[in-house]
Amino acid sequence: MNKDDLIKTICDNVIQGRRTKDDEGIDDSLSGTPGVVELVGEALAAEVSVQSILKEGLSRGMDIVGKKFEANEYFIPDMLAAAEAVSAAMDVLEPHIMKAGLEPKGQFVIATVLGDHHDIGKNIVAVLLKGAGFQVIDLGTDVPADRIIEAANKNNAQQVGLSALLTTTMPEMKTTIEAFKKAGLREKVKVLIGGAPTSKEFAKEIGADAHCKDAFEAIAVAESHAGSR
Amino acid sequence: MEKPITFSGGQYQPLEQKEIQRLHDSALSVLYNTGVRVDSEEAMAVFEKGGAIVDRNSNRVRFRPITIENALRNVPQGVTLFSRDGLHDLRLEKTNVYLGTGGAAPDVDDLDTEEERPATLKDVADFARLVDALENLHFYVRPCTASSEVPREYLGMNEFYAAISNTSKHVMGAACTVQDARNIIRLAEIIAGDSDALRKRPFISFITGLIISPLRFDPEPIAVLTEIVRSGIPVALSSAPMAGLTSPITLAGTLVQLHAEELSCITLAQMLAPGTPILYGGVPSMTDMHELDYVGGGVEFGLMNAAISQLSQHIDVPCFNSAGVTEAKIPDMQAVYEKTFAICQCVLSGSNCIHHVAGMLESLMKVNYAQMLIDNEIAGMAIRALRGIELDEDRLATDTIDAVGPGGSFIASKHTVKYMRTEFYEPFLADRHDYETWRHLRIKDIRKRAAREAKKILKQHRPMGIPPEIDRQIRSELKIYSRGSSQ
Ligand code: B12
Repeated sequence: MNKDDLIKTICDNVIQGRRTKDDEGIDDSLSGTPGVVELVGEALAAEVSVQSILKEGLSRGMDIVGKKFEANEYFIPDMLAAAEAVSAAMDVLEPHIMKAGLEPKGQFVIATVLGDHHDIGKNIVAVLLKGAGFQVIDLGTDVPADRIIEAANKNNAQQVGLSALLTTTMPEMKTTIEAFKKAGLREKVKVLIGGAPTSKEFAKEIGADAHCKDAFEAIAVAESHAGSR
Repeated sequence: MEKPITFSGGQYQPLEQKEIQRLHDSALSVLYNTGVRVDSEEAMAVFEKGGAIVDRNSNRVRFRPITIENALRNVPQGVTLFSRDGLHDLRLEKTNVYLGTGGAAPDVDDLDTEEERPATLKDVADFARLVDALENLHFYVRPCTASSEVPREYLGMNEFYAAISNTSKHVMGAACTVQDARNIIRLAEIIAGDSDALRKRPFISFITGLIISPLRFDPEPIAVLTEIVRSGIPVALSSAPMAGLTSPITLAGTLVQLHAEELSCITLAQMLAPGTPILYGGVPSMTDMHELDYVGGGVEFGLMNAAISQLSQHIDVPCFNSAGVTEAKIPDMQAVYEKTFAICQCVLSGSNCIHHVAGMLESLMKVNYAQMLIDNEIAGMAIRALRGIELDEDRLATDTIDAVGPGGSFIASKHTVKYMRTEFYEPFLADRHDYETWRHLRIKDIRKRAAREAKKILKQHRPMGIPPEIDRQIRSELKIYSRGSSQ
């Protein structure tokens, strides 16, 4: 495969949600052929630039997945599979990003707030942010404010993402933001919130910087924050 | 006592006999290989004493087939859901079919303003009064919850009170806590006279959701169940997995898991109190794969719930399942075609106790008065379909055909008079006028007619109610939130 074909095949495999050659994919059109992990390895060996792998391979693939999802052609499990493929590719790529002298887009701490165990949406957001070039520190679910602050502090994070799926845990987002204020760290981070019951109005009310209705908006917002720094 | 009303189904069978056996065997293998998670020491102890394999490190309980079979042997054959007036006793066994409401929706469309608002005890009472009057609904489960009005510890009892005050048909419901269960049982005892009278003819029964799918027992409902089985009141053991999210995406996989969940619930109930009357409460649904929302209006819902009826018949346990769910937000065409499908599928499969049948909209999040009357009509047609084409010498009518002869008319024949009231289902909302008459009708839309009928019933229908002296006793002993008794 030449360089262009490699990049295109990476993109196709993201769309198929195939991490490795053992994955069947969403339809089985590519089954048996190498998946993103193998292809990214090949591409690196063939000296394809890290930037093109990221942009024209992984990101473009995920863009197309997003469009297919919006068009109701893709289901949530399809999106999960694609996000996992990107995540696996990022594990291979990460060491090379530094070497290539690419500026990472910054540290992003993400968590589902205290009392809430929903993480399907948060995981999609985390993986896509990773794919977009952020260093993502995922704290998991049911995370109290002090642990989020500690992680943001330790990692020098510029952005913090909070997820809540229950109306009963939404107030915990406010608690977390208040705790950031108390710790004197509120000015240092941008806070993004998400999860089905949250809204733009709610974000405003609790003093968050942004609300994102889905993972694709999350990336756009996070990138605009990173760009404006 | 009058003979219980019976309608018998079983004509529709989505599963063949050998497939039922295969599902049953697969469920047994899940119970042996995977088992269930039980986060309650008390329940683990009960399971262990009953012969299950308990691993306390992982809270995992597994079952040998013999343990399940032994428990099943203790289940009573059939359950009677009694009515307070004795006229609406329901014999749940074999393929007898009964339909009722249910749902616990937080919201209701107000009958006067037509605006959506949080449901109240008054709605629980008013819907009970409608069901009391509507012929094709045989039992009452509150279609909406009064949780906006009553604190959790008194919620179940107050919903029961509002229901019993307004219908003498059998009332089923849930208890939120152990104390709530005790209060509900006490309420029923006062109304029945004493605990023996209640035990003999329990006119209420319980629904408990023991399982959080997949395969996990919830501790609080276990404690509630432990309380209920002491009273001898029947209890439906409900489990409601969503295919694709909390059970496998395949209908067969969901049925295997749900059957395993039900078998483990039945086993627990029989270990707690051998011979306790229970219902197999399988309520399978689907997941919307775009937003991961609950789906109850798809045709697969009816397929699976009909299969539940077959699976419960297989082990000779009466079944409690669901039909009448829709994703439609208003009483529109989507609402009625989705409801009609599942109601027909469940009725024809011979489901003993079908809940959610009337009034529900928006994936069980909302109930609507007009919709309840429309669904009563669907239920009436489904029951008529179930009755089928009765065929005997007199109905074959060869003598009448001969008497009328070629070119005659049947309108004046005795045979017509004899059968005209029973042979056709008489709709009470459907429009059958000719075009000209219809054009001059004041109310053309069936939803408006249904709302008007609902208002009329609520104004005119007088349910049996609770006698004043008994009501006084109830109010002196228990914390009742609603002011009046009947209405
Ligand atoms: C899956 C699910 C579960 C699973 C969770 C599995 C898991 N690992 O996550 C299980 C079964 C465990 C579960 C449990 C419960 N659940 Co639940 N659950 C759901 C369900 C069906 C789907 C949620 C989901 O994953 N959606 C798909 C994802 C992709 O969407 P999303 O989360 O909204 O995420 C997107 C955006 O919001 C955004 N986003 C999300 N997070 C973030 C974060 C940031 C930083 C940004 C920028 C963006 C962003 O991007 C995402 C991707 O596009 C919803 C119903 C629904 N359809 O919403 C109920 C629901 C959320 N659950 C509910 C309830 C009540 C519960 C329980 C309390 C039930 C119970 N009685 O036990 C428990 C609570 C457990 C707990 N303490 O958290 C209710 C909440 C009601 C309310 N008003 O609060 C819902 C709405 C169901 C209902 N209608 O009743 N649940």
